Amino acid sequence: MELIILNVLNGVSFGAILFLLCSGLSLTFGVMGILNLSHGALYMVGAYVGWSIAVHQGLNFWLAVLAGGLVAGLLGLIMERGFFRHLHGMINEQVLLTFGFIYILTNLCLWIWGGVPKAPYTAPSFSGSFDIVGDWTYSKARLVVTGIGIVLAAVLWFFQEKTRIGAIIRAGMDNKEMTIGLGINYGLVATFVFILGCFIAGAAGVIGASLFGVTLDLGMSILLLALVVVVVGGKGSVQGALVGGILIGLIISFGKALFPQISTFLVYLVMIVILLIKPSGIMGKKVQDR
Amino acid sequence: MITVKRLYRPAIFASYGPYMIGLAIFLIVPPFLPMYVQSIITKVAVFAIFAMSLDLIMGYTGLLSLGHAAFFGVGGYMAAILIKNFEITNFWIVAPISIVVAALFAAVLGLIALRVTGIYFLLVTFALSMLLASIALKWNYVNGIYGMAGIMRPDLGLAGFRLNHIKFYYFVFLILILCYFLMYRVVNSPFGHALRGIRESESRMRALGYNTWLYKYITFIIAGLFAGVGGVLFTYQSGVIAPQHLGVTVSTLAMLICIIGGIGTLWGPFVGALVIILLEYFSSINAPERWPLILGGVFVIAVMFLKGGIAFHLKKLWNKMFLNGSFKG
Repeated sequence: MELIILNVLNGVSFGAILFLLCSGLSLTFGVMGILNLSHGALYMVGAYVGWSIAVHQGLNFWLAVLAGGLVAGLLGLIMERGFFRHLHGMINEQVLLTFGFIYILTNLCLWIWGGVPKAPYTAPSFSGSFDIVGDWTYSKARLVVTGIGIVLAAVLWFFQEKTRIGAIIRAGMDNKEMTIGLGINYGLVATFVFILGCFIAGAAGVIGASLFGVTLDLGMSILLLALVVVVVGGKGSVQGALVGGILIGLIISFGKALFPQISTFLVYLVMIVILLIKPSGIMGKKVQDR
Repeated sequence: MITVKRLYRPAIFASYGPYMIGLAIFLIVPPFLPMYVQSIITKVAVFAIFAMSLDLIMGYTGLLSLGHAAFFGVGGYMAAILIKNFEITNFWIVAPISIVVAALFAAVLGLIALRVTGIYFLLVTFALSMLLASIALKWNYVNGIYGMAGIMRPDLGLAGFRLNHIKFYYFVFLILILCYFLMYRVVNSPFGHALRGIRESESRMRALGYNTWLYKYITFIIAGLFAGVGGVLFTYQSGVIAPQHLGVTVSTLAMLICIIGGIGTLWGPFVGALVIILLEYFSSINAPERWPLILGGVFVIAVMFLKGGIAFHLKKLWNKMFLNGSFKG
């Protein structure tokens, strides 16, 4: 029982970070049809920037989250304006370009921050632990992370379902030409969504780094998980990213505890099964294949 | 005047000139190069075979696979298992078995991957290759994360004949030419023309009565087979096969080689492999730390500025130099 509760909590908090990362990836993939493989690298850049501010400079944790997000958002702006708008609908080129970005960003991080992994750290206000049941305690930082995930899921859901920009995004996903034909500046909205997605990825990097630390292979390893989450949850929806993130978080957490040998194997297996049964994902709407 | 021109520029040279020049360079020059450069060119030939096989499904059939390294790695692992765990050294036993196993993997994984199309095909192939990599990573039989190392150059089973550096190069280059010839036959057969039809418009080919699924499936297996050839030779060439050779980094490297060289031409991947592997070599001498940065830059430049690839521009240049040149490639 204790094992189950512990793994559920661990899984959900990891799932919350995956959700943060994937909400942006899923939106850009669903809304703009861009498969941005460098999303994980943006997460890593955010994580390093956050480490510099929160640990190296010893400043406020929330400032670090903001800075990590801003740097990633800026990189996203450059990517979108400089490259992706010339490559619309060219999946093959997008894959290669963004894979090149992974190499570039990873090597720049190695140049700036060196090859030694950064250890996890805890912001002073989140140190300590909560009592759950009786003599059972659980890390406060992990609960805060879960809380951030839930709050952001609610905000993004509200943004997508209840605001005008959200309505434009949904309309553009159903029929892009028609949306543009109605006189809506869809390109501007799409750019905004892309940068927002990158911002959240960078911020998620700072939050994730406080629990798991930063390494140079993060850009690649977290991307693999993020792709799985997007496929499992269904692209283009906040709910999908949330469901996928939590599900994969739980699978990894329980997989590591129960079958440590095959936990990564399980993750990819789930992805393949979902792709074969329902390619649009668990929560995915039927999106036309671009 | 015209006759003189014709004498100087015979039609056969105009159409096959690049092949002749390329062949001549790669047959004559290598013995005069230093030993380590010889092994670099051998690596070029190995990756050319692998990238050509990817070109078969990417350039000719229009299937975007992000998991082609799976078959490269399976071929390589199978060879390593036979050599290290079964202690079979004869190349003529090891290679065919490994290549057939790679093709079998392609036959099984193709059944799964070809159930979906477009971007989902990309994602399924990616997931399948990562699945295999995650197995290799944890499987002690193949040394897990460390991979299998210490594989010697192939034993051809001829008494008193050992492959040294340069002989091994010629051996690999011979196989490259053989593979090129076989794939050339495939893409220029009626079958190959049907593949191009599928690339341009699958629904139209289906309307014409072609069983497009079967065409794609067979091509997937053929590509897997040749990727297996590349994998086996890679294992011999580098002496090492590790889990990352099954994964997405090698797949994207092959994609890059195809894009740089030019997709839709079989010799384009060879040019691409030459550029990338030589670049890696020079970077490893001058700035080994910065190689990923350079490689990333090459990715970006290739995608943004090299539309059509080097092969396309070389072809244009050649046909311009020989006005009636008809080099098709």
